[in-house]
Amino acid sequence: MATSDNLIQVQRLKKHYGQGSVKALDGITVDIRRGDVMVVIGPSGSGKSTFLRSLNLLEEPTSGAIFFNGIDITKHSYVNSAGKTVTLDIDHYRQRMGMVFQHFNLFPHMTVLQNMTLAPRKVRHFPKRAIEQKVRALLERVGLQNKANAYPIQLSGGQKQRVAIVRALCMDPEVMLFDEPTSALDPEMVGEVLDVMKELAREGMTMVVVTHEMGFAREVGNRILFMADGKLLEEGSPSAIFEHPQHPRLRDFLSKVL
Amino acid sequence: MEHFIQVSNFEKIIPYAKLFGEGFVVTVLLSLLAVMIGFALALVLATLRMSHCYPFLWLARTFPRFFGFLEYTSKGTKRESGFWYRLGRFNPLAFIAATYVEIVRSTPVIVQIFIIYHGVFSLIKLPTGTLFGFIKFHRFLPGVIALGMNSGAYLCEIIRSGIQSVDRGQTEAARSLGLNRSQTFRYVVFPQALKNILPAIANEFVAIIKESAVTYTIGVQDIMSAVNAVRGAAFIVMEPLLVATGLYFCLCFPASKGVAYLEKRMRRGDQR
Ligand SMILES: Nc1ncnc2c1ncn2[C@@H]1O[C@H](COP(=O)(O)OP(=O)(O)OP(=O)(O)O)[C@@H](O)[C@H]1O
Ligand SMILES: [Mg+2]
Repeated sequence: MATSDNLIQVQRLKKHYGQGSVKALDGITVDIRRGDVMVVIGPSGSGKSTFLRSLNLLEEPTSGAIFFNGIDITKHSYVNSAGKTVTLDIDHYRQRMGMVFQHFNLFPHMTVLQNMTLAPRKVRHFPKRAIEQKVRALLERVGLQNKANAYPIQLSGGQKQRVAIVRALCMDPEVMLFDEPTSALDPEMVGEVLDVMKELAREGMTMVVVTHEMGFAREVGNRILFMADGKLLEEGSPSAIFEHPQHPRLRDFLSKVL
Repeated sequence: MEHFIQVSNFEKIIPYAKLFGEGFVVTVLLSLLAVMIGFALALVLATLRMSHCYPFLWLARTFPRFFGFLEYTSKGTKRESGFWYRLGRFNPLAFIAATYVEIVRSTPVIVQIFIIYHGVFSLIKLPTGTLFGFIKFHRFLPGVIALGMNSGAYLCEIIRSGIQSVDRGQTEAARSLGLNRSQTFRYVVFPQALKNILPAIANEFVAIIKESAVTYTIGVQDIMSAVNAVRGAAFIVMEPLLVATGLYFCLCFPASKGVAYLEKRMRRGDQR
């Protein structure tokens, strides 16, 4: 079903709320290839967050399939290469998909260091020494090496979001999911977070980014998805989407945000 | 009524001072132990209430061919309402815990204490020894258990609301990092919930100190039973009652003031 350069295949994904009265996702089909920087844009309420949160099953889809490395993670079991039926352990797949939230969601009762080492230690059982070394290297990369022992409350918004990004990176994810990572930031802090994301993209990280930062989408994205009313209305390269938009909804949207 | 309260009557209490002292210790111990038992019980109850034990959903997923209809409609979409949906969501553990909590919260403490003492412990024979020479074990223990079972129900609701007050984003962040449900609870949700509910737990302790007064009815020799003893021996009521009032007040007032102070400090900590 899946070929090796397709990391995630989404097929006819639907998510309904209120017994079908709200169709947050109305049949989304898309392939995410390794190394893609896929930027999802669209008006408020179009289902962008729901789409992103479905990818790691924070939202349970109503129907459809999501193949991650060829395995449908929306089912509760799968047949492995030896022909045996195995129960699907969703925690195992979530480890491989890092997620960054609009409101950071750092753990307030833990220091930066503890925030970052929690999952590697408890889930991966990495030795403390090794993981702390890695954490310090990651913190240095985002310019926060002197904040290891700070509590989230002592950080600015931009610093919090950079910590949230490296916290996810600690688990060596295969893909990073960003849900409006700069929307809750003061304007002067947006740049520092986007810079970290740009560098990640340059290093070849597969990324799915929901954002209203059209500059970032154009500069860093290699594929742009335009969503409205739970549907994927248009998909293309940044130049195709921004220079030659086809769908009237997209033209209308761009005229408002650009 | 002219002799309603007389200073000279207080002198009559002096020989019973030891009784009040022991009563004070009994009241404090009784309340402390009751809240501790209550907290342990509440943890169990809250765990049951928030467990994910869905036997019918398990059937549907294990034998999809026969029971799949519990989870999916004939059109292949997930059920979101109706009888089969609710049956799939039925959690027997949560049901048992909720039933316990509601029964305890809807009946008077004294009825619960009588049921435990005259009912349950008429079947279980306790040794009739004493602790520290003045705590009658076979009356004290049923009192502790009854109060503990009572406060367990209230603390369960306190814990549950504490857990629900933790931002959903915390759980989502933890789960997205690959922590499973119980790791998320243990390392992320519970520590934050505990901080939120500490004042409420301390308040429950104050409430139990006051409620423990009814255990004198099963012969626990607490402060209230000292009042009764003086009344029977010296034929005065108001004076020993005033002493008891003073003792209860000295216990509860500083405790609740301490709680208020703690709450204020913690709120300040959050806004730092
Ligand atoms: N838990 C929920 N219950 C009911 N409806 C929901 C729920 N979550 C989302 N929705 C609805 O689903 C639709 C899509 O929501 P979603 O949050 O995915 O939009 P979005 O594109 O991320 O919007 P925004 O740009 O405002 O973040 C909206 O109409 C929303 O009201
Ligand atoms: Mg959103």
